[in-house]
Amino acid sequence: MSSPRGAAQPVAFARLGWICACLGLAMIPHMTALPLWVLGTVGACAALRLFRAAHGRSAPPGLIRTLVAVLAIGLLFLQFRTFNGLTAGTALLSLVAGLKVLETQTRRDIHVLALIVYFLSLAALLHGESFWLLAYLVALVWITTATLLHLSGAALQVDWRSGGRYAGRILAQAAPLALVLWLLFPRFAEPLWQTPSDGRGATGLSDTMSPGDIDELALSDDVAFRVRFADGVPPAKQRYWRGPVLHDFDGHTWRRTDSGPGIAPALLPEGPAYRYTLNIEPNQHNWIFVLDWPSSWDLSRAMLTGDYMLVQTNPISQPIDVVATSYLQVRAAAPLSNGARRRDTQLPPDRNLRTLKFAQQLRAAHPDDMDYVQAVLDMFAQQEFFYTLTPPRLAENSVDEFLFDTKRGFCGHYASAFAMLMRAAGIPARVVTGYQGGAFNRFANYWIVRQSNAHAWDEIWIEGHGWLRIDPTSAVAPQRIEPGLSDLGSAEDRFSGWRHLPWLADMRLRIDALRQLWRDRVLKYDEGAQLKLLGYLRIPEPDGQKLVMVMAGALSLVLGLLAWQIRRELAPLPKDPVLRSFNRLCRKLAAAGMARRQHEGAEAYAARITETRPDLAAAAALCRRYSELRYGESRADAAEFAAAVRALHPRRARA
Amino acid sequence: MKSLRQAAVDRLRAWSARRHGRDTLPITIHRRRIYILPTRFGLMLAALLVAMLIASLNYNSNLALAFAFLMVALALVAMHHCHRNLLALSVDVHAETDAFAGGEACFEFVLRNESRIERSDIQLRFAKDAQSIGSVAGNTHGRVTVCVPVARRGVSLFKQFELRTDHPFGWFRAWTYVQASLTAYVAPAPRGERVIAAAAAAGGTALRAEARGDEDFAGLRSYQPGVSLKHMAWKVLARGGEPMLRSYSGLAANPEWLDWSSLDGLEAEARLSQLCRWVLDSEAAQRPYGLRIPGTELAPACGREHRSACLRALACFGIEAPR
Repeated sequence: MSSPRGAAQPVAFARLGWICACLGLAMIPHMTALPLWVLGTVGACAALRLFRAAHGRSAPPGLIRTLVAVLAIGLLFLQFRTFNGLTAGTALLSLVAGLKVLETQTRRDIHVLALIVYFLSLAALLHGESFWLLAYLVALVWITTATLLHLSGAALQVDWRSGGRYAGRILAQAAPLALVLWLLFPRFAEPLWQTPSDGRGATGLSDTMSPGDIDELALSDDVAFRVRFADGVPPAKQRYWRGPVLHDFDGHTWRRTDSGPGIAPALLPEGPAYRYTLNIEPNQHNWIFVLDWPSSWDLSRAMLTGDYMLVQTNPISQPIDVVATSYLQVRAAAPLSNGARRRDTQLPPDRNLRTLKFAQQLRAAHPDDMDYVQAVLDMFAQQEFFYTLTPPRLAENSVDEFLFDTKRGFCGHYASAFAMLMRAAGIPARVVTGYQGGAFNRFANYWIVRQSNAHAWDEIWIEGHGWLRIDPTSAVAPQRIEPGLSDLGSAEDRFSGWRHLPWLADMRLRIDALRQLWRDRVLKYDEGAQLKLLGYLRIPEPDGQKLVMVMAGALSLVLGLLAWQIRRELAPLPKDPVLRSFNRLCRKLAAAGMARRQHEGAEAYAARITETRPDLAAAAALCRRYSELRYGESRADAAEFAAAVRALHPRRARA
Repeated sequence: MKSLRQAAVDRLRAWSARRHGRDTLPITIHRRRIYILPTRFGLMLAALLVAMLIASLNYNSNLALAFAFLMVALALVAMHHCHRNLLALSVDVHAETDAFAGGEACFEFVLRNESRIERSDIQLRFAKDAQSIGSVAGNTHGRVTVCVPVARRGVSLFKQFELRTDHPFGWFRAWTYVQASLTAYVAPAPRGERVIAAAAAAGGTALRAEARGDEDFAGLRSYQPGVSLKHMAWKVLARGGEPMLRSYSGLAANPEWLDWSSLDGLEAEARLSQLCRWVLDSEAAQRPYGLRIPGTELAPACGREHRSACLRALACFGIEAPR
């Protein structure tokens, strides 16, 4: 079934331009993930094709196209070593789209490009979560779909504005149907198969720490997680969210090469327990930031490591919620094992020699562990140490340089130097990274922990007590730990200051509350929420089967309404009350056996009535009256005419 | 593959013909006779939608799922719009123009749209190489002319025609078959060098009249549509009179007979071609002419209707008249 204006006919330049624009817009959300050369290739292909089309020429010859295709896809494989996975797949799809643009000639090519645009949009959403991204992509679908309008070609005029309006109307009619499907389509608790981890940017803290790592995070306003405390809220100074615990130091960088002894040692809790819900943003790491010493959590596949990190097997790639309970104060139930002690007192012997020497001198003066700790903290507090976001860069002997030369550092520098000083004195010490503090959102009663709250501190082993948290940064910059300025957001705020305007801060909190609502209601919408919805609909004992039944019912209802609405537009517009009355008159006369012939004017009709059916003289008079009303000057008597028509009851002629 | 599809299409046509019976024109398209199927682009989209759903479910991404469902809904709504594009449209075949062998037979379809929406991209077809596409704005009617090449003289009969549309996005195609005959009378190709023989006594006069040209003004006769504007009596019209034609003595007095029997020594088809040539020439020159072929005789006259009757007689010569 081919048609003369069928798939093989060349498309207009404007159409080509539009679909290229759509492709460009579809690639914008992938901008950061795609290799630069892929973007370049697609852009070049589109430019070349448009240039040729502008000069009235067809697609470049097949040989060139094949060559470019082989080259580009080969290069892509060399880079990714696979076409599986989201990033590689997206890159491949983009390249294919670019090559398709290069050969785009006909209606069919435009259709294929539109499908690619649709799929690229979907791929952007697989890891996306913002409302604006969805809105952007829906707008993109709108434009792309409008491009498909009248492609087969006999529109009265190809008018982009009316085409856009029409496509928009269809999209608007699709929205309720999509909503029903989305609300009621059964969700799977588990993915169908394990998606390959595609190295899509892990965000936030990593499991290594070099001087300067955390400084970069401190400038980021991104949300790491949000917390809702069930009853009590721990004091601001005590809100330490523990993340990766680092043991291995090479003089410059702290690492976590292995998790050490597998089983978490028993702890004796002291003080109150805190129950809270974490709403964690995806970060592609497999550890979960929890308040100090967790005692219970509701993730079946998460467990505590020997150094009390909460770890699960899969990286967090979707927003998740965790309900957990933690204690702020604990006492070790068992002494430190020899292996652990050895591990947490190890230092590279040939690095940071000045620090080693200094530590030995200080230790000689303070044989008691706590005295020694206090002496180190006093040194930070009393000497000319500065807390700064932009410390000088440090080389291999980072602790030496920091302690004796630059004396300017961010939390990572202090934590690193402190742990080194402890180990040099034989006290087991480890660096803990995570978040500290958080800002309260009084509009929605939760705490926001941003990347700018990233922090590093130390834990040291004190005999008879266990692991004790020491935060050397607090000795230098107590304001970092105290609530106050830091609650306003990023570290930048503390230094620049223009964002201190209270209304601006309020607005940001309100926006964040909305974002949290979006996350709870939309991103986290799952089977449980669906069953709850059925409960609201007063369906007894909701389960998966009933869900499907309700979906079928709702779908037929919406589809029926939709069909009705679409058909309704077919009805001719009853514009004129006079015409409406006349149509009624004609219907009545037709019922009386005196139908008006098609294309018979009102006057001619009246004449025919008078001639053939003298008994209907009143009706004939009304027809003449209609003619006067319709083509004459006065419109005032429309109501009277309508009443007269209504009052007329013509009888059938007797045979 | 192709033949398989063709076979399916043929069966569907036959079934639809049995189901609806003969139609009388004009016909308003009822929803029960509209068929709809996805096009190959629609099938491609369907495959894509399945892929989208699987990807979204697998990545457990609610936003992606919402997007995929929006696309599903978009396709469903587009299907309704495609169906509606034909619904309640009324069709008539308005007029057939004269067709000559080796040329094209053209039919003018009138699409009457009594709704307020525009009917876009309506394709009309009655044979593989006879199709045309057009649009009709709301509350108006539009004309679509469909031409089919005709190779041989005779009567071409198309028993049904088809309206189809893949509006709005080309994902679905709705179509309907109308069981109404389209008849094209294909006159022979006008061909031949002979001059009109003097079958009647005044034949010679006619030749001389042609030689002398049109100057021999004889009087006025009433206007007939289709006559060359050269013969209009413009002065009469300008004075506010009825449109009149000037007529000429030589022509009015001596009708020509275009006679089959005057063409000795030619084959039947060649004779018909020559006669056709003469009909067109005489008509163009506004000379009254009569046609005489075995079995048929048309009295001398002039004008569009007479010309059509002559051409139809030539087309039907030796062929059983269609129902």
